[in-house]
Amino acid sequence: MRSVAINGNALAQWRKWAPLAVLLALCILISLFNSNFLTLGNFIRLLNSASIPLILGMGATFIILMGSIDLSVEGIVALTAVIASLLVANDITPYTIGLLAVPIAVITGGAMGLLNGVLHVKLRTPSFMTTLGVGFAGVGIAMAVLGGDTVRISDQTFRFLSLGRIGGIPMAVWIAAASVAIAYVIQERTRLGRWLYAIGTDEMTARHAGIPIERTRIVIFTVAGLFYGLGGVLSAAQFGQGHALISQGRLFTTITAVVVGGTALSGGVGSVLNSVIGVLIVVVLANGLVLMGIEPYVQQGVQGLLIITAVALALDRSRLDVVK
Amino acid sequence: MAAGKSYSPDLRLNRRAMLKGAAGATALAALGSTFPMPATAQETTWTLANSMRSVANPYHATFAKGGADFAKTIGAKYETLVTEGNSEKGIADIKALLQRTGGKLILNVDPNDSPDARVIVEEVKKAGGFVVTQWNKPDDLHPWDFDPNYVAHMSFDGVPTAEAIANALFAAFGGEGGIVALGGILSNVPAIERKLGLDNAIAKTNGKVKLLDFQPADWNEQKAFDITQAWITRFGDEVKGVFAANDGMGMGALEALRQNGLAGKVPVVGIDGIDAAVKAIEAGEFAGTVAWDPLWTGGMGLAIPYAHVTGKIDITKEPKEHREFYGTGIIVTKDTVADYKNNPPKTDFADLWGKSTGQIQYRS
Repeated sequence: MRSVAINGNALAQWRKWAPLAVLLALCILISLFNSNFLTLGNFIRLLNSASIPLILGMGATFIILMGSIDLSVEGIVALTAVIASLLVANDITPYTIGLLAVPIAVITGGAMGLLNGVLHVKLRTPSFMTTLGVGFAGVGIAMAVLGGDTVRISDQTFRFLSLGRIGGIPMAVWIAAASVAIAYVIQERTRLGRWLYAIGTDEMTARHAGIPIERTRIVIFTVAGLFYGLGGVLSAAQFGQGHALISQGRLFTTITAVVVGGTALSGGVGSVLNSVIGVLIVVVLANGLVLMGIEPYVQQGVQGLLIITAVALALDRSRLDVVK
Repeated sequence: MAAGKSYSPDLRLNRRAMLKGAAGATALAALGSTFPMPATAQETTWTLANSMRSVANPYHATFAKGGADFAKTIGAKYETLVTEGNSEKGIADIKALLQRTGGKLILNVDPNDSPDARVIVEEVKKAGGFVVTQWNKPDDLHPWDFDPNYVAHMSFDGVPTAEAIANALFAAFGGEGGIVALGGILSNVPAIERKLGLDNAIAKTNGKVKLLDFQPADWNEQKAFDITQAWITRFGDEVKGVFAANDGMGMGALEALRQNGLAGKVPVVGIDGIDAAVKAIEAGEFAGTVAWDPLWTGGMGLAIPYAHVTGKIDITKEPKEHREFYGTGIIVTKDTVADYKNNPPKTDFADLWGKSTGQIQYRS
């Protein structure tokens, strides 16, 4: 019995580091194929590609830690990107409020998240369906406002949020780093952070312990919405335009990154730092497949295989009675 | 899918005026203005209708407007049907309209999916109406097998179009060097055709232009951005140009180049003629795009059957290249962009096949 327990502990220890090991192994493998991978230029490009997924991943991690799921990522990103584009100097509306558009778009994201939380908690609907609905509504509103059109941004100060560089590092990367720091502080240093782990681990126990479950859920969904709103702002700044389909594909990458990083979909296990590793795995993999010159036809298969491997290595199954 | 602004000034002005005047909720009302109203004066007993996925994209919005424009010239009742990406809804709406008009319906339809075309054609023939299909139909479904009710099928040929735009790209960097190419979803017919056109263009340079790498970015801007970033790492300044199978992916590539200080230095081409691409051509960052002509397809898909029912032509006696034909894509480059913007393509409804560029070919 005793030795089993020790083995179990060792395994748990290894699991904690598994995502990082996968990331390092990937980096070594890719650099063997193409030495350009390890250049400073590529490193910056990688971080640049990772910046928006990182910000979205912070929000999604909180939701998943709580044992819920958030499928509204693309809807909120699309709507906030369109709102931001219409408020800065652009070719459709006369508004030119510049960087003031940032808080407005971020708060809109928060409001959408609040809506997610309130509907989910008050109507007692599964977060899966609620957030799917709110996400559709977001894309729908963005589409209705623009009618399938694209709004082009001419505000260079706004575009500086993506194109500008400080110390050679793109602004988007700095903003993503700040988001990670904020998310980490929320997770580690606030009651909210402790509560969301408690809810994700065992909601009944958390309820008996007097944790305000409903309020926490609503607040967390709102916080996630704020992160998505910021992601929307950066998407608009990155492409210099806003349209309803700007976020296409973001949801899948975000959830994949969170899970690959080792945060369990069942809740209670994981961390925003895991998601940082998860995002880097996904981004490095996409970059590496092109650098290694893997046939496009084979790429998706390789991607799927590596994701399953990463999850299989990282997931702690000790608390799972059944695997769903 | 395709250009909006230059084709549909009315539509655009409405929306823009609406957005300028008020924000948020009232903008929703602007959507209503994109649905063409039925003409009031009725000089014919035939009802005309265009059916398409949705009016929420510039291509289809302009397609619907083309239909309304033609209906106005003959004073016919006109309706717009939308499938919202749902084949059943699309077919049910068409059946209902056939019922309501007692079969006196001229239908110009962009079927939601290829198999839908057969059902629609059979229903229209049964009711005694007339139909023209666009883009999607099974390869073995031909207008001449349903005489006279299945009037024609119209499409655009991706092969020569992609070849022409690839040549514009080569010219932009001096005709010698490496390029990278972004493709659409691997199984899509336009993606396959556009890749074939690119391959043809490269083959004709006798090794002067080299395809460094081809990656499908699934028509997705973000994917195109990330792939282009990786290419910059992998190939560095070997990349002399970027070919994108549509403008959306081209814009993604352009922004990746911009992040690396290469916008305007490495030319990009796309296909579709979206507004952003036309602007990028003017800014010297895009070397070209191909504009489709949805105003023409939207109107001509009604004008040809109408010419038949009014006895101007007998469609059953027309040659096959008038029954299954390609429209004209307009190549827009830095030399032609000013002309293109000043003289948007005109549609002459009396010139039924003037913009046809040959009979449809089946390559599979």
